[in-house]
Amino acid sequence: MTATENEATTEESNETLVSRRSLFRGGLGLGAGVALGGVLAACSSGDGSAGGSNGDDPIDVDNVDAEDPLRGSNETNMQGKTVEMGFAVLAGWPPSQAAVELYPEFAKYAKEKFGYTTTVKKTEAGFDKLFQQLAPGLSSGSQENNIMISDSQWLGAFAERDWIVRAEDVYAINPDLDLDPYSSLVRKTYQEYPDGSGTRWGFPQMPDTQGLFMRLDMLEDEANQTAFEEQYGKKLPTTYEEFEPMTMVEYEEIFEFFNRPEEGMHGTAMMYGKDYDSFSCAYHPYAYTTGDIWNPETGEVIGFLNTDDHATALEYFVSLQKYQPPGSEANGIGTMIDLFTEEKVFSAMQWLAVGLAMDGDGKLEGKILAVPHPKFEFPDGSIDVIGAMGGQPWVINKFNDDDHMRVAIDFLRWWYSDDAQAKFEDAGGLPWTADKVNAEGFEDSKYYARAFKEMLGEDKSRDFWHLPQYAELLAIQQEAYNKYAADPDAFDPKRVLDFIAVKQQEILLDNGVTDVAIPDELKDITLE
Amino acid sequence: MTKPMTAPTRRSGKDTAKTAGYYSLLWVVAILFFLPILWIVMAAFKSNTAILNTDYLFTPTLDNIKSVFDRPNVTSQFISSLYLSIGSVILAVAVSFPAAYAFSRWKFAYTDFLMFLLLSTRMVPAAAAIVPMLLMFNLFGLRNPFGFFLLYTSFSIPFSVWILKGFIDGVSERFDETAMVNGASRLHVMFKVVLPQVKPGLVAAFIFNLIFVWNEYLFNFSIGSEGVRNVPYGIANGLVDSGGNVDWGFLAAMSSLYLIVPMLMIFLFQRYLLVGMTFGTVRGDV
Amino acid sequence: MTTTPISTSDTELPAGPGATASNKTKSPKKSKSSASGHRSPWFGRSLLAPVLAFFIALNVIPTVWMIGLGFYKYTLNLGDPRYVGTDNFTDIFTDQELWGAFSRTLIFMVSAVGIEVSLGAAIGFLFWGSSKMPGRRLALTLMFAPMVMAPIASGQFWKLIYEPSFGVINDLLGKVGVDPISFLTDPDWAFRAVLFVDVWMWTPFMILMTLAALGSVPSAELEAAEIDRLNSFERIRYVIWPNGKFILMLGVLLRTIDAFKTTDLVQTMTEGGPGDSTEFVGFALFRQAFNSLNLGYSSAVALVLLIIAIAFTSIYLYVLNLSRSK
Repeated sequence: MTATENEATTEESNETLVSRRSLFRGGLGLGAGVALGGVLAACSSGDGSAGGSNGDDPIDVDNVDAEDPLRGSNETNMQGKTVEMGFAVLAGWPPSQAAVELYPEFAKYAKEKFGYTTTVKKTEAGFDKLFQQLAPGLSSGSQENNIMISDSQWLGAFAERDWIVRAEDVYAINPDLDLDPYSSLVRKTYQEYPDGSGTRWGFPQMPDTQGLFMRLDMLEDEANQTAFEEQYGKKLPTTYEEFEPMTMVEYEEIFEFFNRPEEGMHGTAMMYGKDYDSFSCAYHPYAYTTGDIWNPETGEVIGFLNTDDHATALEYFVSLQKYQPPGSEANGIGTMIDLFTEEKVFSAMQWLAVGLAMDGDGKLEGKILAVPHPKFEFPDGSIDVIGAMGGQPWVINKFNDDDHMRVAIDFLRWWYSDDAQAKFEDAGGLPWTADKVNAEGFEDSKYYARAFKEMLGEDKSRDFWHLPQYAELLAIQQEAYNKYAADPDAFDPKRVLDFIAVKQQEILLDNGVTDVAIPDELKDITLE
Repeated sequence: MTKPMTAPTRRSGKDTAKTAGYYSLLWVVAILFFLPILWIVMAAFKSNTAILNTDYLFTPTLDNIKSVFDRPNVTSQFISSLYLSIGSVILAVAVSFPAAYAFSRWKFAYTDFLMFLLLSTRMVPAAAAIVPMLLMFNLFGLRNPFGFFLLYTSFSIPFSVWILKGFIDGVSERFDETAMVNGASRLHVMFKVVLPQVKPGLVAAFIFNLIFVWNEYLFNFSIGSEGVRNVPYGIANGLVDSGGNVDWGFLAAMSSLYLIVPMLMIFLFQRYLLVGMTFGTVRGDV
Repeated sequence: MTTTPISTSDTELPAGPGATASNKTKSPKKSKSSASGHRSPWFGRSLLAPVLAFFIALNVIPTVWMIGLGFYKYTLNLGDPRYVGTDNFTDIFTDQELWGAFSRTLIFMVSAVGIEVSLGAAIGFLFWGSSKMPGRRLALTLMFAPMVMAPIASGQFWKLIYEPSFGVINDLLGKVGVDPISFLTDPDWAFRAVLFVDVWMWTPFMILMTLAALGSVPSAELEAAEIDRLNSFERIRYVIWPNGKFILMLGVLLRTIDAFKTTDLVQTMTEGGPGDSTEFVGFALFRQAFNSLNLGYSSAVALVLLIIAIAFTSIYLYVLNLSRSK
């Protein structure tokens, strides 16, 4: 049984059938009788291992057929055809929407070059929902969405289920698509699964890093300058160069200075929200200062996430709420924009790619200074920062039929062309290749480009888990962190971290990611 | 004012001022409930800044309404909402009527049990029903308008059967018997004799279920696909505008427009709705 | 004014045993009538067929499927179903979060239904006999609006209305010198804030049911009550309650079931937060099923909840039946 299915997975159409059949077994079969269903489901689990084994088996480049769809179209094989492509993109995230908006340009290119007509339709959902929107279709082998945006954490889930084409295979056949990234962060964040394996699945679409947006006009204001000097005995900084080396503790004075609730103005805004990864990404730079949040090698969370240093970091991060408008426990990307553009806060910690929207449709144009994430003192005494990575790769649906697969490859080829990338940047996109990020004038191309480049530097940022279990892991920590943020006096930060670590490690244990058992004294931990 | 025939005596209605006060009180209660919606409708005519600054006085703008029609996805979501809800509810009422008639007239031994089973479908938390539904829809390729048409019909059946059975119970069997003695067929009795008498029940079943399907979100979100996406899905997913923040004006415009249909329904068919919810037992003043 | 003609009115009906209000939808009412010779049971059954077909295809099969899935570990993004026996069910008993959500839901359900029923009944009574009120139809339409607005939209806007920096409530509070309150992120407030919105949304439904219940009270009985000079309490006890209770209690039942299932509202308003203070069992289940994609475990949870809901409803209907037969 397993052997035949292993073979079947090489044929896409069969694969669809197989997975439908397996659903039938795993579903109707179960309904008919649980005992019988057990036997049937045991058979169908062959699918999973088939997918896994596929990943170890690199493509034989020399023997790839000239008509192989992974090559994309040639002059003849797509002539006169009409293909409607399905794109899955993030709702309200301009860089991801840009692909759909620029699609007519690609259609023109495809018509001229390969002679086919193509249109696009999009499926869209927010960050916290897009994967969940795609999974049901993919699990039935649907090619409803031919090209999908994947948040970096979803790579593992896509790859593990064998729902997407390996970028590695595409690169092997089309070396021209394998571009040189600005830093290894691009590969680690948007492409590689499992971590460190060197196998790439995703195609970088939009890179993103963290920064701080401040009101330049308020910094430069004479009265503020004088008052600050009087109050703190030092000059109020106004330039990128002055801010760049500053630590969060130094920033606190500035937040405190501008925190004037009686005037409806607060010092800063940060994300403590429960939705998706709001809290986690905002908090992680504080934790990364003293270590990672888990051990990718052994799969351990306990002893990594819940160190005393991390507890101090968590407590500190939450304590910064004192410079922020009330209700920060619900803050996410959108709230940052609203608070900043409606002039309720002096500054906001935000993804740099959102820079386009932070000027409130031009209302604050020229009045904003964007700098890298504030720094921290590391255990060795150095002053630095490791931010959280944002951004997303493309992934290509494995169930695409030949025509759709060709168009998908054609699209990528067009997308990475200088012409298309220039248009993408005009629409608010950010580049990730070495030549584009290093290009002269890039740092001045947008007011947030310089900070973005700085944070994309080697070891300047870090992504967390590409595990298929990410959704569950994330939900656990988002809820616990948010609970703590909403009522910091009621909880011991160390206990919050212990709780998260135990719950996460339980999941990893269940899934065989780790074999390190949970220590007895932590086993029954609760968060009440 | 003369006292309504069935009204309780406490409002004897001789005192005009008292009556006016009473009616004003009712109006105040009604408006209190409507206030939050008024705030939303107002937001549909405000700029985003005016919304976020809680402006009470503002220069109305039609930009938001226009932007609703500018988005192609939104138009198709409105269309999906319309045909999915109206179509499935009509089908549900159409199959529920014969069933309700049969339950009422044949008095099968298992009627009570079946009626309870039907109602029990309402007890399943939506998220619970979605999981097997997802697998089933995947398996049979039903994640399309046809599948949702069936799904929403099945949502609407239980309540339709309950309401209609109540109404048909209220139509004496002597009507049936008289007609059949005079040679009418059972179908004739059903559709020509009984059906006209339970019109409020039909309309109430229709409206009640329409509102439910109209606002259905979880199934649409979780297992829908292109072509099935309705406006609640659009509201949830299109919350954010091109900038990454919530486009409140657009959201308000879309929600307000979407509210027009059910509001019109309860305005136009209010009496049917009130009478319908009596399950055919109306004999007083609603 | 509401002048739409309706065909159902007691005056048109020949008085028959089937026409008593309190004896409607349940239990066979009378022995087979003389017309039974006309009916073929198969014809009657065939009338049920379409409804049963829908019921079997879209309710029974998925439910059986769900029961089966409950015995499997099946996470959509991890792999194919794996039979784990009753593991999922034993996990449920030790799932503190789930039981936390469950008890929270019960508190929510009892408070929401309690408030909605009392408020709905009170306002319903208030509106009873206002048929000559100018613009009554419009007033009722406005009042019913909260329950016909898409919950997903209501939730989103209430989030804005409650917002400390941008919300209208805090703006008004600010005008009278009250510091902003983080209604949805303060653990002391969030539950109550969500409850308030639920009450706002669903009290109109109980008003509707109250009006319908009052509408099923025969005018003649009310007139008799008047002649007998019954006081208000007696009138409710002996005239209104016996006639209206079935409809009213059906309203209570529907609200109870729906409050138990509350999902849409918290999803948009709080995502169950802050922490887990508004995480209700319907939403917790939804997150298990569609955030974590744990189809097997969530099926098991769903089954347990379904059994609880059915048990609850059966007891409820049993009590209702009992009170009816007395």
